[in-house]
Amino acid sequence: MTRTPWFWAVGVLRRAVGIGALLALAAFILGPLATLLVWAFAGTWLFPNLLPEFSLKWWLYVLGNADVGKSIRMSFLSAPTATLLSAAICIPAAYAFARLEFPGRRVLLLSFLSANAFPKIGLYVSIATLFYRLDLMDTFAGVVLIQLVNTLLFMIWIPTGTFRGINVNLEEAARDAGAGPLRTFFQITLPIAMPGLIVAAMFAFIAAFDEAQGSLIVGTPNHITMPVMMYALVLGYPQPVGAVFSVLLSLPSVVLLLLAQRYLRAGYLAAGYSL
Amino acid sequence: MKRANRTRAIAAVVGIALMAFLIGAAGPRGAGAQSPVTLNVYISGDTNIFDLWNKMLLPAFSKRYPQYRANFVPLLHGEGSQGVLDKILAAKQAGRPTDVDLWETQPSFVAQGAPNGLWVKLTNSLIPNLAHVPTQKLEATDYYGMPYRGSSVVVAYNTAFVKNPPKTLDDLLAWIKANPGKFTYCDPNTGGSGQAFMVAVIYKFAQMAQYTGSGYEQKMEAAWDPAWQMLKSLEPQMYNNGFHPNGNVAVLQLLAQQNVYIAPVWSDMGTDYLKRGLLPKSVRLEQISPPLFGGDSTVTAPVGSGHLEGTFTLLNWLLTPEAQQLVISGVSGYPGVDWKYMPDSVKMQFADVAKPYAPLPNSKYFADMLRLWHEKVAGGG
Amino acid sequence: MRVHKISKQGALGLALVLPPLLVLGLLVILPAITAVVETLKPPVGIEATPFANYAQVLGTRILRSDIVFTVVVTLVSVAAVFLLSYPLALYLRFVRTRSTALLGVLFMVPLFVPVVIASFAMITFLVGHGLVSTLLYRVGIEQFPRLMYNATGIVLTEVWVSIPFAVLILGAGLQAIDDALIDSARDVGAGPLRTFFAVILPLNATPTMITLTLLFIAVFGSFTIPYLVGGNAPQMLGVTMTAYLTQYLRRAESVTMAVIAFILASVVGVVYVASVSRRERTAR
Repeated sequence: MTRTPWFWAVGVLRRAVGIGALLALAAFILGPLATLLVWAFAGTWLFPNLLPEFSLKWWLYVLGNADVGKSIRMSFLSAPTATLLSAAICIPAAYAFARLEFPGRRVLLLSFLSANAFPKIGLYVSIATLFYRLDLMDTFAGVVLIQLVNTLLFMIWIPTGTFRGINVNLEEAARDAGAGPLRTFFQITLPIAMPGLIVAAMFAFIAAFDEAQGSLIVGTPNHITMPVMMYALVLGYPQPVGAVFSVLLSLPSVVLLLLAQRYLRAGYLAAGYSL
Repeated sequence: MKRANRTRAIAAVVGIALMAFLIGAAGPRGAGAQSPVTLNVYISGDTNIFDLWNKMLLPAFSKRYPQYRANFVPLLHGEGSQGVLDKILAAKQAGRPTDVDLWETQPSFVAQGAPNGLWVKLTNSLIPNLAHVPTQKLEATDYYGMPYRGSSVVVAYNTAFVKNPPKTLDDLLAWIKANPGKFTYCDPNTGGSGQAFMVAVIYKFAQMAQYTGSGYEQKMEAAWDPAWQMLKSLEPQMYNNGFHPNGNVAVLQLLAQQNVYIAPVWSDMGTDYLKRGLLPKSVRLEQISPPLFGGDSTVTAPVGSGHLEGTFTLLNWLLTPEAQQLVISGVSGYPGVDWKYMPDSVKMQFADVAKPYAPLPNSKYFADMLRLWHEKVAGGG
Repeated sequence: MRVHKISKQGALGLALVLPPLLVLGLLVILPAITAVVETLKPPVGIEATPFANYAQVLGTRILRSDIVFTVVVTLVSVAAVFLLSYPLALYLRFVRTRSTALLGVLFMVPLFVPVVIASFAMITFLVGHGLVSTLLYRVGIEQFPRLMYNATGIVLTEVWVSIPFAVLILGAGLQAIDDALIDSARDVGAGPLRTFFAVILPLNATPTMITLTLLFIAVFGSFTIPYLVGGNAPQMLGVTMTAYLTQYLRRAESVTMAVIAFILASVVGVVYVASVSRRERTAR
């Protein structure tokens, strides 16, 4: 019975370390966001004051800016469209990568890495010239296409992994029972893969949402997205302005976070995602 | 049952996405050219300049010329410019008009575009009021850029900590050495206030006139070596052991947070920040001798613009006393026209500010200065 | 019969894969090849070899140090994310306390914050005379290490934005490991560490490789974070390239650096594919 005190001590120690680690992580993740939140309500904040002089004047300044509203609308129209379009063309392809044998499969799968590996700066003049010829400059479609490129990697690789993780026997059993390939896909495969696909969609959305350099060329002057607007606000305006805009932008993200909670819980992911 | 519903839901969502895409693709292409004519005005700069254009200049212009309306496009300071230049170039190569009707940007981008024939060469016949602009200002941009406002970089110091502010460049350099960690200048890639300090030190050791004309010979840059050595020797005395922040605004913020006590800042930005209470009241602005550079912000007209007549009208109007007054009252800037065309009251009001400032080096030398600063000063040789 | 089936499958496979490939081809591969071809044309005034541009870039001291800097910062960031995320993923998988649910929400937060905002937030938090520094100052600690505008700032911010992605992928892989396997290892007498190295790590190898590869590529090519949070020199390649193009008017060097960065990033991708292929081959 001498084991018990020792075990107990270790347990307490472990719990203390665990809680300490949790608090440290919370501070690391939430601290910067909390600081920004305080800055959003600061009139002026000079060192070494722990808190600023509070004021809402910068809210009036930002909300009074018509360009800000326009950019928010543009981002929330283009990023979801790009994501859904990406899903439409990539998910069938992912299924092909996962289940079908065809020549060059591995090379083609790897080629999607190139979308993110080549620094975009070197590409943009060529893309702009192409878009001019296709009459896609300063169009909604042009911005969506640019964002689409950023989503390809996530929308191919994660669903490929997801589909691979589904037991082939399930599909074969359905085929043996007489279901055609499309029916099998929609009624057997897709529901099981759904959590993994939703994770892929989330990453794809964020990639599309965050895209700045290409959207600037293709989207100006009438299709400005939030990241393009944000750069200007963060670098060129007084600190509270960037903070206010950040808070405004985070609100939809918080909503997304709460909605996504269902699908991101660890248990759900296991259902369809293993490589 | 559940699965069938889900299938239908997926199909519906995908269908909506495709529809949205197609509608967006077929939708209107931005501001159309009906009456009144809309001019797309692209301005690169900081918040005070955006407010000047958006709240003062463009509304006044539309009032004076109701047949024109302006669409104001603020640009990422420094970053978006390459994208705009690429757009204008791509349009020219594809044989299409560009939607950029007027562009205020850094001289380096104008210089990049000139060999490709992207800009209109400005003349008195196109813009009558151009005659009021001092010729050397127009020569500096090869007549591709029209100066409409000016500003110079000055030295801002916090009187609470600096009892004897430096009055000359040598005083300033000595002060930096004596007060380590309390001075900095922004990375020259990111803001004119930092560039001005770097250039001032270069002018100390090399003949200013050789770099401000239109010639360019790379071997002349050897004369800059003592300047690089001086700047390199100052690095340990900079704020945070040699840190140069990103942009003019960042330096103003360091000044405000009392991280530094002296810094070079643009006269118009410093004045603006003091007015808004973003800098402590103890901060003062002063020009040293020899002065830090100043420059004119110029606007450029792309050849491919679809509304050149409107652009020229706007350019001409910018040089009227009415518009120039807005520049002065709006951003505490200097006028683009010669001072003699401004009313006496204005001349008196700005007797202190209207001091001469050093000229900018030409854009080719300037580009090399930026690169060599990074190599030799920040990068350690 | 079998041959017929494979070729039919092959045709279908290629057809399904075609749409995203077209997008990739037109918008990435084609412009990328154009860029590479451009860099192989030697610059005016220098000896006419196709690799003159590369020789010039690799011969410039500060550019070499930028390349090395980028690789080092990327490796450190990826290692840091990995070391932070794996225990988190393990904790979420194997421990079921009240804090698990909280943790589950917490680690996802950075995912929903755009990178520009994240960088800005980190600056206000960690810069000298920022929040943490002010807090410490008020309790009497005046010396504060420099955490922003240098490699440390870049690493901290890259870690911050990468945690959700890493924990999700690693966690998903861990989910797939049967509890029974863990239990049987415990029964045989293996301690937690041994179980981790002998059972968990190998079974979770592929998600691990994916995480490491994608993280490397993302951090290596990043622009926003080093631009806002990095120092003056050396700089990450994304920032250097942009400066060469927009500030120094040196397009050729800029595109050359882009190609070099691409090659380096590809190496990592190749390593991943090779290891996955080997695993698949042995698994069959």
